[in-house]
Amino acid sequence: MKTKTTSGIGNPLSRLEGKLKVMGKAKYSSEFAFENLAFAQGIQSTIASGTITAIDTSEAEKQEGVLKIITYQNALELKGYNGRVESPSTKGISPSLQTPEVHFYGEYIGVVVAETFEQARYAANLIKVTYAENKHKINFEENLDSVYKPDKANGQPADTSWGDLEAGLQEAAAKIDVTYNTPIEHHHPMELHNIIAVWEGDKVTAYASTQMVENAVITIAETFQMPKENVRVITPYVGGGFGSKLQLREHATLGIMAAKMVDRPVQFTVTRHEMFTAIGFRQHNQQRMRLGADKDGNLIAVGHDTTSHTSFTEEFQETCGLMTRMLYKTPNSLVTHRLMKLNLPSPRWMRAPGEAPGSFALESAMDELAHELRMDPAELRIQNDTQKDPSNDKPFSSRQLVECIRIGAKKFDWKNKWNPKPGHTQKENWMVGYGMSASSRAAPYLKSSAEVTLKRDGETVTAVLKTDATDIGTGTYTILGQTVAETLNLDIEDVQVELGDSKFPVSPGSGGSWGAASFANGAREACINAINNLKTLASTDENLSIVELMQQADLTEHNAKGTAAPTEEFDDYSVYSFGANFCEVWVDKDTGMVRLEHFVNVASAGKILNPKTAYGQIIGGITWGLGQALTEHTEVEPNYGNFITRSFADYHVPVNLDLGKIDVVFVPEEDYIANPMGVKGIGELGITSIAAAIANAVFNATGKRVRDLPITPQKVVTTPVTA
Amino acid sequence: MRPFQFHSPSNAAEALQKHTKDQKTHYLGGGTNLIDLMKEDVERPDHLVEVADLPFKEISKTANGGLMLGATLNNTDTANHTDVRKNYPLLTMAMLSAATEQIRNMATNGGNILQRTRCPYYFETSMPCNKREPGSGCGALNGANGKSAIFGWSESCVATHPSDMCVALAALNAKVHVEKEDGSSRVIPFSEFHRLPGDQPEKDTTLEIGELITGIELPESQFPDHYYYYKVRERSSYAFALVSAAVGLKLSGNTITKAGLAIGKVAHKPWKLEKVEKFLAGKEATLENFEAAADLAFEDAQPLSKNAYKIELGKKTLVQALVRAAARS
Repeated sequence: MKTKTTSGIGNPLSRLEGKLKVMGKAKYSSEFAFENLAFAQGIQSTIASGTITAIDTSEAEKQEGVLKIITYQNALELKGYNGRVESPSTKGISPSLQTPEVHFYGEYIGVVVAETFEQARYAANLIKVTYAENKHKINFEENLDSVYKPDKANGQPADTSWGDLEAGLQEAAAKIDVTYNTPIEHHHPMELHNIIAVWEGDKVTAYASTQMVENAVITIAETFQMPKENVRVITPYVGGGFGSKLQLREHATLGIMAAKMVDRPVQFTVTRHEMFTAIGFRQHNQQRMRLGADKDGNLIAVGHDTTSHTSFTEEFQETCGLMTRMLYKTPNSLVTHRLMKLNLPSPRWMRAPGEAPGSFALESAMDELAHELRMDPAELRIQNDTQKDPSNDKPFSSRQLVECIRIGAKKFDWKNKWNPKPGHTQKENWMVGYGMSASSRAAPYLKSSAEVTLKRDGETVTAVLKTDATDIGTGTYTILGQTVAETLNLDIEDVQVELGDSKFPVSPGSGGSWGAASFANGAREACINAINNLKTLASTDENLSIVELMQQADLTEHNAKGTAAPTEEFDDYSVYSFGANFCEVWVDKDTGMVRLEHFVNVASAGKILNPKTAYGQIIGGITWGLGQALTEHTEVEPNYGNFITRSFADYHVPVNLDLGKIDVVFVPEEDYIANPMGVKGIGELGITSIAAAIANAVFNATGKRVRDLPITPQKVVTTPVTA
Repeated sequence: MRPFQFHSPSNAAEALQKHTKDQKTHYLGGGTNLIDLMKEDVERPDHLVEVADLPFKEISKTANGGLMLGATLNNTDTANHTDVRKNYPLLTMAMLSAATEQIRNMATNGGNILQRTRCPYYFETSMPCNKREPGSGCGALNGANGKSAIFGWSESCVATHPSDMCVALAALNAKVHVEKEDGSSRVIPFSEFHRLPGDQPEKDTTLEIGELITGIELPESQFPDHYYYYKVRERSSYAFALVSAAVGLKLSGNTITKAGLAIGKVAHKPWKLEKVEKFLAGKEATLENFEAAADLAFEDAQPLSKNAYKIELGKKTLVQALVRAAARS
């Protein structure tokens, strides 16, 4: 019997596909070659609200290479839209080119198909569109009186309450009532959104950059009114998604439509500029926080009111109050969510939807309350810890928030460093500040299937695992390879993983931090089924190796499927990951430039399948949080309503030089209520509360509380000292 | 991208001859700005005359003790040249704060000083912009003008010049050498090379159509001991400045005998501070004098609706640049 190798779970294995990626051999969706491939380029609206009255395509049509120009006048009719744009009934594709109405600046109003990308793009520039303009609504502040309560906020109740917030605030010894703003932010995965659509008769294959294969299949089938069996989606490698690729977007509809209309394979790659309008974004959230505590720091009132904007075609609300409902115990709580409709594109899920902006408000407010109480902010969190979810009275399946805070504080030397008086430490022109925050993120676990094929050649067995799960840069290939190697007791070199094809067993796709837990448990089930089948076939109860079992059963090949899904017990608990952040920032006392010197992140996130890929997730989350805190901001043009921040020269993501020293600690955790393997996601925990820790450190350095992100030099310079 | 004709001349005379002497031809240097603008459909030349390989790649000493920077030499090699580092370290510091290593490797000196504004209204063809489309209006004037000019703007244009190199060149009193097709040449003082927008914002410089930049001349060694380029930006690297300050000082003891000063990203051109240079000459290098200098530098500022912060930030940036330049030894 083979001994276990270091390739099983828990080992910091390098990515199985890493070499392919470095060599450029990992094939992304835009890299599949087809003879006769044509290219599509979108045409975008240049008003925020109105109706198209004329489209002059005459000049464009004359150009070399142009195959077809598609507008609402000649587009294929799509299911259910009957000339009116309504909220889409499908799982994601937006109604495209079905009416002359324009709902936001940058909306796709047409598509040019040509022999080459360059020809398509040139011809698109020659198309002249005339509009009848409506008065648009683009300004958040000016439309605050139009807010309404949505039926649901991202599937959750818009409002929740218990106790009496006002009464709690009345009796509080210390309280705060402050409003935070987080701006419009964009995902910008490195790989552009893309589709190559290939029709063969009444069947279509979509090579699409997507996080969720099954969802994409259903969307295409419903939109084009065809049987699901006639749709295949292929996406072996995805260059980042961050929520923007949960659903197929309009370019996918248009690519599939164009391929049908020109009867050729068509590629539609969204340009970097179009990535600002075509694929969703995180909207501006205005969050009012009211906290009250008794003199000892026990929370007695927690209020969190969120106002956001959605579009006129779809309703989307980010649940900023999610974390506020469950993180700290309080007898009085009120969490609300409100929406206004603006002539801007529809916002969408973006990494840690709810938690990323919500944690900035909650964990900044906790810091402000600690300052009011003259209390150590780390101790304030510990004091208000709870082992029971206050929003539903369910026990947590595991909750090591206090452990995370204590471990982080020790690693950071918080007790010795932290000083509540801003300006306590200066180094040349820099003011040094320390900040911390607590974090949590739901650890969902969803039904996931996989298939394992074993082949024996003499004394060697190799395994191929297949599932329609995706690797969006997170390490799915590697952790599934490790899971198979561990469960079947094989060398990792003898395991192959194939992902991202709708002909493979169905997974829930990558999203919501459920991927690792769901996929791995699904893969494990397939492997356990294979072992059990082989035991039956070999007529043995002994724990023999896979080679021995297959030899004894006289098999050279065996195939097994498996499905993992949460049990009823899962619903009896609140299942979350927890974390703590500590950081040191330096703020230039004159120019307000902020530099991150040191960041400590502690995560309690179940079994860590692979510390290397998990570490990568946390680093990425911290980098995102740093961008959220200091640099990222999409600005709406105040008169025309377009995103005037229109390229990477205007929209600043952090660069390597912005990141200081980063320490990541994973706290050991065994939580088999969460799922049989005890795995929890970390992709979204990694960004949660990062911005708050940095903003709190900026306050600690300067005495300036910048409540509107990002904390740019111009804001630091113009914000008054308040402590 | 619109179709265009590409010319690759082997010498300056041929390049000058290929130029159609109208707006339809552009010289192409490293392409780090023009090609982007062509992809965005902002620039629509019918002819590109490639000049990146013309033989102006030397850095040579001039007869009066200065230095001539070849127009087609790239920014990286220019910034790191021994004579530049030794005698004009302010220029090195400014140039290395710009863009990224990759872009600096491609960008030419002539191209750097001709780069266009980063005003988003100029880049977005669906928006009004007098610089891109004369007569269409200025979208930024009453729009998103947080990064626009506070000096020298007009109702036609509030754009700023984006270059870091140019701010140092203004402080150093450089000169631009150009050639014409008839073989004649002329020398343009740097302060006269870029222009204010007035009612012709489409014209960034005083170059005549078809003129070719051959070199940038630096006067004899300038501020090798006391210099600082302070660039304030929204991240540590690869971002245009919010505001920047180039400072060169000549000190005798603690007395300033000469100052070279300019600030960046505040106007349609690098903003040379001649009045402040005169004010500081003969004064002691003290914080009080530096703060008085900054007040003088910004006394004529006219902020727009969203960029008043540039005055406070600009003053502090200039003061800090002066402090750091004086403190160097």
